[in-house]
Amino acid sequence: MTSPAAVPAIRATGLRKQFRGSDQSTVVAVDGIDLVVQPGEIVAFLGPNGAGKTTTVDMMLGLTRPDAGRLEVYGTSPGEAVRRGLVSAVMQTGGLLNDFTVEETARAIAALHGRTDRVEVVLERARLTDLARRRVEACSGGEQQRLKFALALLPDPDLVILDEPTTGMDVGARQEFWQAMRADAAHGRTIVFATHYLAEADEFAERTVLMNRGRIVHDAATTDVRAAYGGRTVTLRPPPAVERADGIDPAWLAQVRRVLEPLGVTDVEVSAPSLEAAFLALTSGAGHPDRPGHRDHLVGATR
Amino acid sequence: MTASALRAARPAADPRPVPRPAMLRYARLDLRRQLRDRIGMFFIVGLPTFMYLVFGLGSQDPVGSGNVAMYVMISMACYGAVTATTGVAGSAATEQVMGWGRQLGLTPMRPLAFVAVKAALAMVVAALPVALIFAIGAATGARGAWSDWLTSAAVVWAGSALFAVYGLAVCLVFRGPNAPGIASGMIVVMAFLGNVFTPMSGFMLDLGRLTPLYGYAALARFPLTDGWLPSGVRDPLWLPVANVLAWTVIFALLALWGVRRSRART
Repeated sequence: MTSPAAVPAIRATGLRKQFRGSDQSTVVAVDGIDLVVQPGEIVAFLGPNGAGKTTTVDMMLGLTRPDAGRLEVYGTSPGEAVRRGLVSAVMQTGGLLNDFTVEETARAIAALHGRTDRVEVVLERARLTDLARRRVEACSGGEQQRLKFALALLPDPDLVILDEPTTGMDVGARQEFWQAMRADAAHGRTIVFATHYLAEADEFAERTVLMNRGRIVHDAATTDVRAAYGGRTVTLRPPPAVERADGIDPAWLAQVRRVLEPLGVTDVEVSAPSLEAAFLALTSGAGHPDRPGHRDHLVGATR
Repeated sequence: MTASALRAARPAADPRPVPRPAMLRYARLDLRRQLRDRIGMFFIVGLPTFMYLVFGLGSQDPVGSGNVAMYVMISMACYGAVTATTGVAGSAATEQVMGWGRQLGLTPMRPLAFVAVKAALAMVVAALPVALIFAIGAATGARGAWSDWLTSAAVVWAGSALFAVYGLAVCLVFRGPNAPGIASGMIVVMAFLGNVFTPMSGFMLDLGRLTPLYGYAALARFPLTDGWLPSGVRDPLWLPVANVLAWTVIFALLALWGVRRSRART
């Protein structure tokens, strides 16, 4: 949908950055990255800790200067793009001031952007309106992270970069964060986020860039990345009658195998629900077995 | 997708102007936050006021061109003002180190503007104890020539800027959330050594002459005392001046080293 003449949101060629370790050895954090992100794209940077994601993000924001290579954000330098409010970020280690309230924090940063008109809008967008008068130190980790997200929205940027935005959040907070994020993405913002949760990339990004040891090892549509990880899994929940304390009734299981064999199913695996699913089922309110959220889990694709 | 297409077209078609940071609004919010800090404000305003009331109130014995109440009043105002600048500058450094600086780095504000805001803030907060203690002194019997009131107040207030550099240096060297507390705590020790709280004599006085608060407080009291100390000896003017100059250089070098060191990590 983007016009061919549009300037890319990010254009990086041969990006390189090394640090000097405490023992004077050099560590290459980013080792020759080429990347183009078009306006409107939602891209995940997926990789283990130390893959170079944060260093790459810091360079895109003008917080770190690359040692080699070219990097343009909307056709200008990263620092200039930040000053113009074109790009903004939720950073992994960006701090907040404990003795400001949520609203004061937003007002202070809004003043520096010259956009005090946007305070109410961004608090609403990040679902913080009810917490506006709470002091930052009294907010949970998830709430503080949503506040950083609100701050990132203040300049009404075209591109938002999120660096491990859900680190340290519990499952519920993580879902709430991505819900706020998803609602905002519907407005057409370009979003780049770094994560080491495959599920986050899978649920949210159209395109996934896999990084390891400072290099891009794979860059494709998220569906392709998922396929590379071995397709989808179908989960079935057995009737309560066959669930015994020591596991599933073996006779019933054998019957299932026989029924499925003609369909080309080669393997049936029995597993306990993931901690994450159990946690959500236990904490998301009433335990009605026929709630829609619950039924998703009975028969569905685990991704 | 129309929304995204619209947005996508915007940067190329309509480069937006660089927004102007509203620094005054930011400074006002930051000042309010500082004034709300009860413990901080107790040491800046409450403690020196209390000490003036205990040691200075009603002491009519003559000192120089005024009385003891005036002498104590100036000393305690020094302590309050210095605690203020140390605290504001120290917490500014700590905010930067602890990550708020990265948040500010994503706004159009230039680093120099941040320094200017914090410097202005430190001087505003330092003015509070000076104004309050001088007002209480005037109302409760501190006496001296009117020109001594003006010059002392000016020296107390302006000279406290030196300790903004001190607060900055300490907090850049001892990084971490406790650094401003360490800096303010050391001020109390230096106030005793610097002849600010109680008059000293003998060896302690000789030692104290070399400490950072001695020169500043002696200069602030100079219009009143003309250099005479309670112990009956007299400091020539060059002594407190040399003390202040020497410590200015030391604190500045220390702060510079701290800045270099914190930059080297990133």
